[in-house]
Amino acid sequence: MAKIKRGVSFYSYQQTQFFKQLGLEGQIREVSENLYGADGIEILDEQSLRQYPNSSDEFVAQWHGWMEKYHVTPVTMDVFMDVLQFRDHVMSHHECAERLKGDIRLAKRLGFKNVRTLAVVPIEILVEALPVAEELDIRIGKEIHNPIPLHGKYVQEIVDYVDNTGTKHLGIVPDWGIFQYQPSDVKLEWMIRHGASRKATEILTQTCLDMRVGVGPLADVDISLVTAGNIEVNWHRYLKTDEAAPYFVKAFKAIVEITNSNISEPSAMDYDVVFQALLFSQTRPEDMGKLMPYIISIHGKFYHMTEIPNRPGEFEDCSIDYEGPINYLKKAGYEGYINSEYEGQRFYQDLPLEQLADEVDQVRKHQEMLKRLIGE
Amino acid sequence: MFDKYLVRADSLENFIENGKVAGFKFAVRNGNYRGVFASLHNGYYLVVDGVLYPREKQKFELNNKPPRDFDEMQNAGYEHWDFDDEGYVYVEKDGGLSKGKHTIIFKQAVFSAYGYFPGCEEYIKNPPVPGPETKHYLIMDKTFNPVTYELELQR
Repeated sequence: MAKIKRGVSFYSYQQTQFFKQLGLEGQIREVSENLYGADGIEILDEQSLRQYPNSSDEFVAQWHGWMEKYHVTPVTMDVFMDVLQFRDHVMSHHECAERLKGDIRLAKRLGFKNVRTLAVVPIEILVEALPVAEELDIRIGKEIHNPIPLHGKYVQEIVDYVDNTGTKHLGIVPDWGIFQYQPSDVKLEWMIRHGASRKATEILTQTCLDMRVGVGPLADVDISLVTAGNIEVNWHRYLKTDEAAPYFVKAFKAIVEITNSNISEPSAMDYDVVFQALLFSQTRPEDMGKLMPYIISIHGKFYHMTEIPNRPGEFEDCSIDYEGPINYLKKAGYEGYINSEYEGQRFYQDLPLEQLADEVDQVRKHQEMLKRLIGE
Repeated sequence: MFDKYLVRADSLENFIENGKVAGFKFAVRNGNYRGVFASLHNGYYLVVDGVLYPREKQKFELNNKPPRDFDEMQNAGYEHWDFDDEGYVYVEKDGGLSKGKHTIIFKQAVFSAYGYFPGCEEYIKNPPVPGPETKHYLIMDKTFNPVTYELELQR
């Protein structure tokens, strides 16, 4: 049977890096020594590299030295698109493509095989940068991130382009968050500390569980064409003006209705809390079916690893389905990487130091789960 | 992100300009998990001991360059504020702060967009002024609410 490979995105160690508990080499060593044979390295260019995008030759040499010393492999470099970078205009597609081409060249210098772009990058930009990727044998993978599901337009246009041209250097990087079906407990507690009522968080969780089994006013709502940020902008506009693009109106009305029928005299915050139910993409493992050839790498997004009751030393994230999708990937013969991407740390950072999350520990637990579910 | 940890606790001090105490400064980290292009750093909502110090009273020292005001910072589209690095916020105040403890209410604004978004033209024409309310959590306000720090003036 094909073997799924394991790695870590250093997004997971952002807080550890912030407090200077582990630098870049320390993060690489952690993957090498404590993760049961994981060997994949994924970085965010701006986070890990000094004075991005101008990495020195000395640094690049040191980087390759680390890869060799710790027996690890550069897998994917995550890149960004700050369209306001120049502040006097919104960057054109051409300018964004130029930044992406530079990122691809930088990834090549560092030995990466893949470059991951954000979910919202227009396909024209990817196509403009593609010749550089082909020349350097780097695959561009567009992230498919909650709430965008796998069956939406954003994936289809990539599939169509690849099918029409035969390129081997374009595809998708699904983020495991698309398999999340209810908010994580750590996020709910964070919301409550920031003024949410516990009742509203309970309604939110119930709404998510209803959507999962296809009942309730949101059962057939599909807002698959937009990112979380864009849904949020439209939602706030709707609350203020009672107007929204027709595309959103049904979903937004349902959120208001669910809130009104469950909470007497709801606050503005209550609506915002229940609204979060729209930020889950309702993806199922079998949605990966026809997309398998286009999957370049996968982000193993998670929020909170806890010990499975009565199974000491074994861990799970109770808000995300891991078992179903991993079984599916195994059957489908996926041989790429799943890279742990821990995102729960941000929900503790309003708390005293001793209550902050332990990212290193969380990633170890996540890797225990991956290894076990993969069946190594 | 990093709400309670963006301002270094032992960094508050007065600064001297042209031979007299012209204001105070303190060290900050970047609340965005990947750092940010310096141009995208748009200043602070800042209230010290009950007095609001708007963006126009603030300068920022970064990458070993002299402090720049936030209109100048907009031009730093090729300069990166690395995630690992501290910068210093300079605040104009004749005579600086008095000895002892001070209450700083603080919120950092960085425009860290995830590509194009509705209203992004507005951020060019009429960039939002850093304020206490959360305008756009994913793009501008990396902490949800302003954070209160109690800092002792070091010198």
